[in-house]
Amino acid sequence: MSNSAVSSDSIPITLIGGYLGVGKTTLINKLLSHPGLPPGTAVLVNDFGDINIDESLIRSESDDGTVIGLSNGCICCSISDDLSKALDALREIPVKHVILETSGVAEPLRVWRHCHYPGFIPKAAVVLVDASKHAKRSQDKYVGSLVRAQVEQAHLLVLSKTDLNPGFELNRLTPQLSNQDPDLIDTLLGWRHIDETSEIAPSSSLQPAFRTYTWHQAQDITQALLTDVLSTLDESVHRVKGLVATGDAGLLLINRVGDSLNMHCYPQSAQPEHLGLVFICRSSSSHEMHSAASGLGTSSIASQIARLDAGN
Amino acid sequence: MLTLYKARSVITMNPSMPRASAVLVRDGNILEVGEPERMQPWLEGQQFTVDEQFADKIICPGFIDPHLHPSMAAVLLPMEFITAMRWKLPWGDVEPVTDPAAFDARMQALHHSKPAEEPLFIWGYHQLWHGEMDKARIHQVSDQRPIIVWHRSFHELYMNDPAMSMAGIDPAQIKPGLQIDIDQGHFFEVGLGFAINRLNPWILAPEKYAEGLRRLKQVVHHGGHTSIGDLATGMFNLDAEAKALTEQLEGDDVPFRTRLVVHGTRLTQGGRKPEEGPTMAADLLRHNSHRLSFGRHIKLFSDGAFFSQLAQMQEPGYIDGHHGEWLAAPEELERHIRAYWHAGYQIHVHVTGDLGLELTLDILQKMQDEKPRFNHGFTFEHFGFSTPEQIRRIKALGAQVSANVYYLHELSDSYAKSGIGYERASQMARIGSCFAAGINTTVHSDFTMAPAEPLNSMWVAVNRISHEDQVMGAAEKLTQQQALEAITINAAHTIGMADITGSLRAGKRADFTVLDDDPLNCDPMALRDIGICATVFEGRVFPIP
Repeated sequence: MSNSAVSSDSIPITLIGGYLGVGKTTLINKLLSHPGLPPGTAVLVNDFGDINIDESLIRSESDDGTVIGLSNGCICCSISDDLSKALDALREIPVKHVILETSGVAEPLRVWRHCHYPGFIPKAAVVLVDASKHAKRSQDKYVGSLVRAQVEQAHLLVLSKTDLNPGFELNRLTPQLSNQDPDLIDTLLGWRHIDETSEIAPSSSLQPAFRTYTWHQAQDITQALLTDVLSTLDESVHRVKGLVATGDAGLLLINRVGDSLNMHCYPQSAQPEHLGLVFICRSSSSHEMHSAASGLGTSSIASQIARLDAGN
Repeated sequence: MLTLYKARSVITMNPSMPRASAVLVRDGNILEVGEPERMQPWLEGQQFTVDEQFADKIICPGFIDPHLHPSMAAVLLPMEFITAMRWKLPWGDVEPVTDPAAFDARMQALHHSKPAEEPLFIWGYHQLWHGEMDKARIHQVSDQRPIIVWHRSFHELYMNDPAMSMAGIDPAQIKPGLQIDIDQGHFFEVGLGFAINRLNPWILAPEKYAEGLRRLKQVVHHGGHTSIGDLATGMFNLDAEAKALTEQLEGDDVPFRTRLVVHGTRLTQGGRKPEEGPTMAADLLRHNSHRLSFGRHIKLFSDGAFFSQLAQMQEPGYIDGHHGEWLAAPEELERHIRAYWHAGYQIHVHVTGDLGLELTLDILQKMQDEKPRFNHGFTFEHFGFSTPEQIRRIKALGAQVSANVYYLHELSDSYAKSGIGYERASQMARIGSCFAAGINTTVHSDFTMAPAEPLNSMWVAVNRISHEDQVMGAAEKLTQQQALEAITINAAHTIGMADITGSLRAGKRADFTVLDDDPLNCDPMALRDIGICATVFEGRVFPIP
């Protein structure tokens, strides 16, 4: 995933992935009807099944956006591939942002690679997870490995159908939102994946509206320290989520939205793969952008994370 | 007018009378197969000719390839082949080119044989034999003529500078990080899509495509076929393909018939429900002509491309831990299969790995539980990897197998070393077991994935020799009799044409493939080199020069 192709004239592509039936179409319909959808947004929908995009929401080319159908398949079996054709077609019209719905059986990473197309640049891989079916599906004989790969390769996870399974938790240090989240569409449109190890300065057209910081927990801390850190965060921190091991209170499931902080005990018997916290921050201020570009240099989050690592 | 064809021997593939010495034909149909002296009742008072041109030849039922892709072939055949494997083509054999120097020499020779301005498209390059390719290497052949070198897998290509300027590719527009290495002239994955979109005026131009289909017609004839299956009609564009096929593959000069099996997911693509598919597919039957016919057949897809190691494998999977891919979500495949199963269709499903096969078997089991059907002809197409237990399930569920046995020849060595290990690689195309279980089993080329030469498929099935000359999975070898059944009567059953062709008996069409030697008695290693002197399609002789 080289970032070296970033340039101001590349059109960013946001991938919307996730298995068949997780709610991609619903989400895209929401996007299309969202007042904040910027002019010049093109939506490429996967056209393999009998997907039902709300016709009234499809905007003509003269309008703000455009919807193009895609189908799946292998280039060796059709001497063409719909994605490259669609992207070439988009070069002919003024487009500023592309939303690409992947096939339900696509691995986001494979499509991500395909988005490094002349004139385009992948921006973020958003993957929807069906809260009501994920646990069973991720163990399925046929699609289990695929569904797990989709989650692992996501830069932003959107949990859908949480009303059917309110207790659903996905133990991953990947930023997670619910599809009920009022800020969902804005967050999604503004999301940009930045390789944390890269030192590429974001160009103006790709400036992310949100940034994430991930803290991987290496050693136990105290609940008091955790509470203190989470209560004194900068106001740019929009959300914090994760699972943390404390010496005095055991495993704690953390969920902070705005000012509201929730900590729940997590069964000690669970042996989670991922311990740590994900911080989702608005990055509108220049200060924030500067610290993002210089790799967590001086931001308050960075100092808070340093406190967590130091354990005091 | 009656014609009595005499032969050194007639192999009938009719188990009740396996051999004869003559075939009596009237108006393209067989009146009787047997011995001339017993045919007198037909001949009395009738005008007839005795045709002795095959008197020292072997007449077989016309060969059938039940799964190839005329449209793909039409794209590929106008290109020049430089391949590591042998390809017998009507305009000359392509001798194997297995080292870099020979590849370069062949490029040079092709370059010098062409008019100066003509672009040169080369297909068949593979780094395993031909070394690393790049633009500079092509420039050593020519930096004036546009030259495009296409990988054997079709998934990548290389171009020189004149080719890029011909296609309107401006190197300055190509930034690093793409699936294009502009300095090497290398285009792969989506970069290949970028290149193809710009080469389309040369490779998909209507006149090129028509030329490709004319070449395909020669290839099919040259291979000895009298029937073929187009197993994904509509893969590009149904209307355009149907028109081109009608123009090129219908008419008195066409020595074979084609069963068109429509690409199911393409058919209903664009918002139509799979449940509408059966009616849409049935509507195609009104376009049928003498040689081109849709039937109540449909093609669907399970797992990914065999050549790209994207077959879905059961445990223990691939050595490097990667996974194959599904071409549609299992639920979508099931929904399509259900629609066509309940409508009484014969369903052909592309399956490559044993997990893809397992899924499709599970779905077939559900269909049998919902609505039991006999003689439904459900066919597993390609059939790369399977397990012995799956063979029993295929039999129990009444399905059949159409295998691309050529995989074994070209890929089993490399899959043993860098794919799935020797045990499973050597047992790909487990078709000996299929015959033993009494499953109707045929073999195909999937042309252009393998040469459209039924005798070559027969050679692989009988000898199971890899390109490194190793016998792979000897227990799965077919007998010569079985292999000939596979390319004749069994193939006819698979494409729904066993009532008219596939064997020689009274009442069937007079479709013959005429051979110089007897494929049932010859040295098994000589099978693929048996000369084909002619085919007979519906009583008309089409010599092969």
